[in-house]
Amino acid sequence: MIKFHNVTKTYPKNVVALDQINLHIKPGEFVSIVGQSGTGKTTLVKTLIGEEKIDKGKIIVGGWDITNIGQREVPVLRRQIGVIFQDFKLLTKKTLYENVEFAMQVCGGSPKKIKSIVPHVMKIVGLESKAHRYPQEVSGGEAQRSAIARALVHRPKILLADEPTGNLDSLNANEVIDLLLRINKFGTTVILVTHNREVVNKLKRRVITIENGTIISDQAVGKYIL
Amino acid sequence: MFLSIVRVIKFSLQDIFRNIWLSLVTIIILILALFSVNTLIVVKVIGGNAINAIKEKIDINLFIKSTALDEEIVALESQIKNIDEVKEITYISKEQALENFRSKHEENPEILEALKELGRNPLTPSLVIKPKNLDNFDNLINKLNMIDNDIIESKNFANYKLMLEKINAITEKVSEAGIVLSFIFILITVLVIYNTVRVAIYTHRREIMIMRLVGASKWFVQMPYLLSSVVYTFLGIIAIMGIYYAFLSILQPYLEVFFVGYDIDILNYFYDNIFKIFGLQFLIASLINIIASFLAVRKYSNV
Repeated sequence: MIKFHNVTKTYPKNVVALDQINLHIKPGEFVSIVGQSGTGKTTLVKTLIGEEKIDKGKIIVGGWDITNIGQREVPVLRRQIGVIFQDFKLLTKKTLYENVEFAMQVCGGSPKKIKSIVPHVMKIVGLESKAHRYPQEVSGGEAQRSAIARALVHRPKILLADEPTGNLDSLNANEVIDLLLRINKFGTTVILVTHNREVVNKLKRRVITIENGTIISDQAVGKYIL
Repeated sequence: MFLSIVRVIKFSLQDIFRNIWLSLVTIIILILALFSVNTLIVVKVIGGNAINAIKEKIDINLFIKSTALDEEIVALESQIKNIDEVKEITYISKEQALENFRSKHEENPEILEALKELGRNPLTPSLVIKPKNLDNFDNLINKLNMIDNDIIESKNFANYKLMLEKINAITEKVSEAGIVLSFIFILITVLVIYNTVRVAIYTHRREIMIMRLVGASKWFVQMPYLLSSVVYTFLGIIAIMGIYYAFLSILQPYLEVFFVGYDIDILNYFYDNIFKIFGLQFLIASLINIIASFLAVRKYSNV
């Protein structure tokens, strides 16, 4: 599903974010990428969604070499990879439903398709009763769940979660992780980027540990080792 | 595709209304630019009309002594006709001159009464000469001055050329000032449009970021802002049409008084050329504004 071959990314002033990364994530896997702040986790996410170009190496997503992806192809890639972030990135003037709907509208989804898919994903994330509330009227966990719903509308094969529990208490964090596990059960590859030790240890799934831009550990059923 | 176009229009209108004050300022600046451009057109049209009207009226009068014989007059007429610079020559008899004088002053009974009291025709016959080309006006005057014939009583060589040159110079000067003013306003408009789009993008930066994140195409992200600039131009053109109609309606009576006897109808000129004048302005202004918006969008939409 996702392959990184000797991927290197350096920022100005010789700051090495990724150094010779080799990685293979199979379809349907649930992988946690862990590491402390500034170790290159977010850069890895950015290279995967075409936001950052790499200096060396090759990145393949679903058989598609995205190493030198063009600006016109980036939207196509992003419809195949659902992404959620620590700060939810929801529009506060739109309801949760409208936020999810917006993702389909801006990609040319027909009203009929929107009407059938949006309620469905709202149901998957358990927010059908709160769909018409605004982000500031719901808990952090619910806001993150609606962000997950938005990420799911294009039925992506990969769901990339960059610190999704960073702003949540343990109860809400558990809810979000449970939801990610359920989505993974449907066959979606989930990549969880986090530095939440408790979450990672509880998952008992594959854990890749990054330090100073290099992979220092890749365990099939791993723990947070830092 | 149709759906995307509808949504682009919706987002564009949302953008205009969410920043309504900024949109109004942009449109007002645009109106000022268009006003200066249209004033330039008015000056050109009035100047051109005045020059043409004066050209039509330019002629040279050679007054002939009343005692001159017919054959002497015919000989002089043919001598003048042979001058290259002469377009047309007409003989006005004493009687014809009197008739012309009466019709010219028919609304002035005092003059007509004075003429009656005189008891005789005081006017002299004349030869009216129309020049071929005003550029050769001086040559013609020189050649006419060289004619030494006793039957010529007097010559009226009003310096029309000088008058035309003055009108031309004034028109040119006003046009030059208008062009400078128009350029300044166009430059201001470009900067204001650029800034409006920049602010609109800043206002919508979160939406743009999310659009890009969920896979909206670059076209879809950028198009609403380009469309907004066309909407601003369209509203500016509609407003200037209304404003200019009112302006010309006020100006027209003054022009009629100032250019009495000349057929200058600026309102009608704009009415007859409405699509040409405002259509062309819309196309050019849209193009300029789209370029300004495109530069702003390209620079600032990568949030």
